[in-house]
Amino acid sequence: MSGVVPRQEPTLADVPGMGSPVPPPAMDKPQGPWKTAGKRFVRNPYAMGGLAVLLFFAIVAILAPVIAPYEPDKIDFMNTNLPPGTKGYPLGTDELGRDIFSRLVYSSQISLTVGFSVAAAAVLIGSLVGAVAGYFGGWIDTILMRLVDVMNSLPSLFLNILVLSIFGSDFIYMVLVLSFTGWMGVARLVRGTFLQLREMQYVEAARATGVSSWGIMFRHLLRNSSHPIIVNATLMVGSAILSESALSYLGLGIQAPETSWGLMLSNAQEFMLVDPLQALYPGLCILIIVLAVNFIGDGIQDALNPREKKTFSARRLRQWRNKYSKSTG
Amino acid sequence: MTEYFIRRIIQSIVVLFLVTVVTFAIIHLAPGGPTEVLVAPGLSPEAFEVQKRNLGLDQPAHIQYVRWIGKLLQGDLGKTFKNSVPVGELLWPTIGNTFVLMGAAWLVAMVIAIPWGIYNSTREYGLSDQTASFISYLGFAMPTFWFGIILQQYFSLKLNWFPLSDMWTMGKKGDIGDLLMHLVLPVCVLSLAFLAYYVKYSRSSMLEVLQQDYIRTARAKGVRENRVIFRHALRNALIPIITIIGLDLPMLVSGAALTENVFNWPGMGRLFVDMAIAREYNVLMAIVMVTSVMVVIGNLLADILYAVADPRVKLGRKGGDTA
Repeated sequence: MSGVVPRQEPTLADVPGMGSPVPPPAMDKPQGPWKTAGKRFVRNPYAMGGLAVLLFFAIVAILAPVIAPYEPDKIDFMNTNLPPGTKGYPLGTDELGRDIFSRLVYSSQISLTVGFSVAAAAVLIGSLVGAVAGYFGGWIDTILMRLVDVMNSLPSLFLNILVLSIFGSDFIYMVLVLSFTGWMGVARLVRGTFLQLREMQYVEAARATGVSSWGIMFRHLLRNSSHPIIVNATLMVGSAILSESALSYLGLGIQAPETSWGLMLSNAQEFMLVDPLQALYPGLCILIIVLAVNFIGDGIQDALNPREKKTFSARRLRQWRNKYSKSTG
Repeated sequence: MTEYFIRRIIQSIVVLFLVTVVTFAIIHLAPGGPTEVLVAPGLSPEAFEVQKRNLGLDQPAHIQYVRWIGKLLQGDLGKTFKNSVPVGELLWPTIGNTFVLMGAAWLVAMVIAIPWGIYNSTREYGLSDQTASFISYLGFAMPTFWFGIILQQYFSLKLNWFPLSDMWTMGKKGDIGDLLMHLVLPVCVLSLAFLAYYVKYSRSSMLEVLQQDYIRTARAKGVRENRVIFRHALRNALIPIITIIGLDLPMLVSGAALTENVFNWPGMGRLFVDMAIAREYNVLMAIVMVTSVMVVIGNLLADILYAVADPRVKLGRKGGDTA
């Protein structure tokens, strides 16, 4: 990743509720908007690089049993703390004699699963809440938006830790709690679009022909939020991966004998004096994968809205900041 | 204007009330709830019941809630289950410690990032701009705690320049020089996280202003570029930067849980993690409450500051909370 200095203006990949909805595809154009966006995406070297890296990790995760020379939890007291480069152990072993390379490989499964399931679940919850709030408006909207305010006021890392300490550190709970603290951005996006569009004539026409409210919401209106949702979901994959590693590092996420990059880091910190290199690999993996996901997200953003304003108002900056600052600290 | 402020304040109070409900509900909806923590090996069922009654955990949830909130409003945060230490005694010193750490990180980040971002806005896509954007990407994608561990390994274990962890060296408590040495590494870690978006923030805020018509007018009438930047543009560009000060206030007490754990800094974030593992729910609720109050106040302050600083801001019901 040496040449990553972006030549183009790096977008901050943010669209929430701003500007006009995506215009309907012009009739005289031979290609649909998705296709043109796809072309623009392919021409963006950072986005494509990110995609390649992500695919690489996905393949590694799927083929983990083939690639990894050992089981990730195989303890071998005869071979503890081997240095990197030892024959048979490319990155050495940890204090229990577990092969670090195998553990790294298997950990990618956890990270990717958490990342994508959290993004999917959060988009699901967020779209549902946002759609209902924006479509029905009135007191339903007020209640749901206050709920969003409440969730935004609760410190998400603390909330994650709290829930996991109560319910126990389980993979499913972790995915649930990360989605539970991550859906608000999507809800706001969707609500914003719905508020703008619900009075449009085509909605009225659909209603007149007898389409139910849910049909209008999910068949007709939700499509108009698809662009920002996709961008938001992509970036959420990255932040979920970061959160997972943080929780596992703190001892509240993935538990041994399972393995995860965050868990490996907490282990490595304990044995820092013995093997300083141990801490390097898992962190690098997290960094690279999240970087890749963010490049993809920004690439999609650029591809979908090439003329999107590159600078933005304070309000949008705030939304953007909320999104990125989830895992700082 | 006053009406808007009053409405915002009422809104904030409602949000805070709901925050207490949500926090309380999470803890009490859990299987076993807070009582589970009382179960100790060798504890007889009778003793368990007595213990439960002493802590008021035998009451229905809504009664417990009313009691808890009643005490909270009087500033009583309750006691820990084990050892019955008042929560306040645990909490307040750690808030101070976190504040020292975050305040330092935040100041460093601001001092570097704002001028840097402004400079970059005048030389878009230049070397310095690209470096900043590279650093931002890194800052967003890097697990902060990992960066901390790497710094520890290099600068304290290998080079031995800075202490590995903690806030003071044993027996040197109160020595400012010692504190500063302990601050260097965690501040590096945290300020990178801040810096990552402050640079972008100030840059785009400045760019937004530089596109305005009045800047073009100023240039057209022959005002020197420096003067355009510093006299005409900067003032308006700083307005959104003011808002971020308000928005980041809560981070000053809450934002460092991971870094504090890496560097064993005796702050609130570390207390939270320790108490979560010990399942001391009173402490956890208190910390969540303190943080949420800070967030709500921060948001409120940001809105108010913004409205006061920029008379163009439209205040109205419509669109007031769309964002």
